[in-house]
Amino acid sequence: MGLVAAAVLTLASLTYIFWPAENPFSQRAKSRLDYLRERKDAVYENLRDLNFEYKAGKYPEEDYVTQRSLLENEAAEIMGEMERLERA
Amino acid sequence: MPHPMPTFGSFSLLLALVLAVYSLAMGGASLWQMATGRAGRIAPERLSETARRAGIMTFAAVSCAAFALVWAAFTNDYSVAYILHHTNRDLHPAYKFSALWSGQEGSLLLWSWLLAAYGFVLRLRHKVDVRLTAHASTILSGVQVFFLLLLVFAAPPFSIQPGEIPPDGFGLNPLLQYPEMVIHPPMLYLGYVGFTVPFAFALGALIMRYPGEKWIHITRRWTMVTWLFLTVGIFLGAHWAYSVLGWGGYWGWDPVENASLMPWLTGTAFLHSVMMQEKRGMMKSWNVWLIFSTFMLTVLGTLLTRSGLVSSVHAFAQSSIGNWFYGFLVLVFCVCLFVFVRQRDHLKTENKLESIVSRESSFLFNNLILLVACFTVLWGTLFPVLSEYVQGSKATVGAPFYNRVALPIGLFLLFLTGVGPLLAWRSTTLRTIRRNFVLPSIATVATAIGLMFAHIRPWEDQSELYSLMAFSLGAGVITAILSEFLRGANVVRTQTGKNLFAASLQLIQRNTRRYGGYIVHFGVVVIIVGIAGGAFNQSTEQEVGFGDKINIGGYELRCQSYTQDSNANYDTEYALLDVYRHGNYVTQLAPEHRFYSASQTNSTIVANRSTLQHDLYVIYEGKNPETGKPIIKAFLNPLIAWIWIGVLIIILGTFVALAPAIKPALAASRVMHTEAVAVGSGD
Amino acid sequence: MQISSFMHRLFARTLRHRMVQLGAVLFGAVLLMAAADDSGTRFNKIGHAMMCACGCGQILLECNHVGCPDSDRMIGELRTQVASGGDDTSIFNWFAAKYGPTILAAPIRGGFDTVAWITPVAVFLLATIGTAFLVRTWVRRRRNTVTTPEGIPVQLPENDAMRERIRRETEY
Repeated sequence: MGLVAAAVLTLASLTYIFWPAENPFSQRAKSRLDYLRERKDAVYENLRDLNFEYKAGKYPEEDYVTQRSLLENEAAEIMGEMERLERA
Repeated sequence: MPHPMPTFGSFSLLLALVLAVYSLAMGGASLWQMATGRAGRIAPERLSETARRAGIMTFAAVSCAAFALVWAAFTNDYSVAYILHHTNRDLHPAYKFSALWSGQEGSLLLWSWLLAAYGFVLRLRHKVDVRLTAHASTILSGVQVFFLLLLVFAAPPFSIQPGEIPPDGFGLNPLLQYPEMVIHPPMLYLGYVGFTVPFAFALGALIMRYPGEKWIHITRRWTMVTWLFLTVGIFLGAHWAYSVLGWGGYWGWDPVENASLMPWLTGTAFLHSVMMQEKRGMMKSWNVWLIFSTFMLTVLGTLLTRSGLVSSVHAFAQSSIGNWFYGFLVLVFCVCLFVFVRQRDHLKTENKLESIVSRESSFLFNNLILLVACFTVLWGTLFPVLSEYVQGSKATVGAPFYNRVALPIGLFLLFLTGVGPLLAWRSTTLRTIRRNFVLPSIATVATAIGLMFAHIRPWEDQSELYSLMAFSLGAGVITAILSEFLRGANVVRTQTGKNLFAASLQLIQRNTRRYGGYIVHFGVVVIIVGIAGGAFNQSTEQEVGFGDKINIGGYELRCQSYTQDSNANYDTEYALLDVYRHGNYVTQLAPEHRFYSASQTNSTIVANRSTLQHDLYVIYEGKNPETGKPIIKAFLNPLIAWIWIGVLIIILGTFVALAPAIKPALAASRVMHTEAVAVGSGD
Repeated sequence: MQISSFMHRLFARTLRHRMVQLGAVLFGAVLLMAAADDSGTRFNKIGHAMMCACGCGQILLECNHVGCPDSDRMIGELRTQVASGGDDTSIFNWFAAKYGPTILAAPIRGGFDTVAWITPVAVFLLATIGTAFLVRTWVRRRRNTVTTPEGIPVQLPENDAMRERIRRETEY
């Protein structure tokens, strides 16, 4: 009984593992563009947070303007590079 | 074949080991081929796919082994030594099931099974990021190999009892015969084992030099779920100790309790500091080491429990298994260090802060405090060993040590919980701080003054001082959280015109992680309030005959009767006590004392009447042999219920944080609207 | 407003002040502990500073094992010791001599035992100083004005289409 069950389990495992994969995965290596897209999302999230915190009264006007400009510059840089890459 | 099920179980474990080794070896080889561009006869992608499938089948094989053990428990197969030693015929089915984790071998099997289950889910979801998952899967297989080696060679759960097989088992430790014991260990193990997943992802990401911070996003849910399991596991344990051990408390700073607290502390630190990396790309090396340490602390915790290094009531029998864990711990550390040193340039970042006073710096201090707390607990746990080494005699490091050293740290952490959320990311100016801090500060001071009027005397007693600080800081933190909610809700309200309630809901939906986090903080404060109530515990001990009374804090307990009874599993003695408060009948309590015949052990069954205000907690201490009357000990423990309520709030908050956030819909819709208008006007 | 000024000070650079305050509170607390002197309180205090010898791992006065072989006798001995009027140290010494040093619930024998108490505090102080130093270094790297690295102010093109787009897409 026990041996039969063991044999079944072994056979099932081997079949499953070595069953030819219909579509063996191949992943495109992450491109610079993917990376920039992630970066852009992060900076956007930060900007959205900044806007929210400003509206919630955690930032004085002048601080907000500076921080926003810094982040916007960062975003603009990333998006500029993205556009160049997309055009190429 | 005399023992079909044990044979099948043993074989399954052996097969699982072979599969895990295959998954580790082929996974490693294929990843190495992919990284170096050297391909063998088989394409590395195909090889990697078989490794993934072998990992999935490991889960099937370990599941079969676990099933075989549970089967043996339910069929009273006492030819299996483990079943003989941990169950008996009359044991309730739920506890027969829990026999799976009530001993050394079984609990290792549970550990291995949970690890395989986590790996199963991870490998099924490999499409999220195939390459990264392949790395994580290989690392998980490595850990799995270790636990399966233990199960096959050092602690086999299916060893056959030599000689004649006794007709009945030796029974389950009665302390473990309690509903929570059916869920506490799996919960705690889910937490312990779960940290292997973020560890594997972090190590994998480092090995493959994963570009960007997306891997954190991928592991975020894993980490939070694991953290929740660990939290719930810890508090279930505390609740079990409170309801079963019958000493009136819930946390004894026992080495094993400490072992579960340490990874919780570093894991909590990781959950916070990883946000700095996601948002700002900062503290990469730090985060990597935090998660490495968390994983190593879970291994260390297991080592402490099983090696007999420190003495503990929880500890399993001393065995050679400790050496395996030492070896594994050293191996893990070496691997981590090697990978870190090799790839450290990948983690280089320009850390910078816009301001001293910012959310970022509050996270730094939060990490500092959590790690100091973790160090303190580790230090206290290992000091006895150190003391024996240095001065030749062991020392006990018990509750008095931790109460004096850890409580101030806890209070400081509570303070930071209140301050952190009030600070903005990047920079906060003194003017805004002043504005945002007014209300919480007033709440703190007002609570402190109010409590002093309510006869709390911090200058007379240290514990009262601490609890006063905890209550008033708690009030401050809750005010801070509420004001954060209100401020945010007001922004949404002015934007959408919704009422405050709807606006709050939308606020939470837009940033589930932040507001879920605040709800968790609120739960933590509620727990701390419950803990701080401990400074005002009362207790009394008395022998009672028929009609005798015990008075405690406005309650009167009248002994109505005391008697004894017996069933197949245990003999019992109990007293029936009528409870009156200010002369009015409230309820009847029946504290009990049991003697389990199978395991020849005693156990106390606590009678507890729990209200939001306090618990009336009564235990049957025993019988006075001279008079034959029962000795009753009664405790009045204020605010305990809030600890359990706080845990529920934490669960709720974590669920909120786990929910996907919706992007500020209004902004998007407004953009669409203006575009539509522009298009329309262009016509 | 005491707390609010307390908070300001925390985040001002002088972390030292806060440590002094915290230290004073803790020291005061310890003194208060030592000041309790009536015998009931003392019995309670000492009884909570020792373990039960039965191996249950519990504090002496909280050990509730039914038929515990040790706790009743030990509590009796403690009562006698407190009544005989010795000071706390001599009582602890008496118990440590009889049951071994592990009977004390915390390392209070002096000598190497002091290290147990000092280390966490020292680690805390060092880590705080380290973190404060780190924060200072990181803040020095900031670039809070919109200038080029050479310090020349950058003129932000206000009507830049991309900036407009960014603003639109990141509105809260």
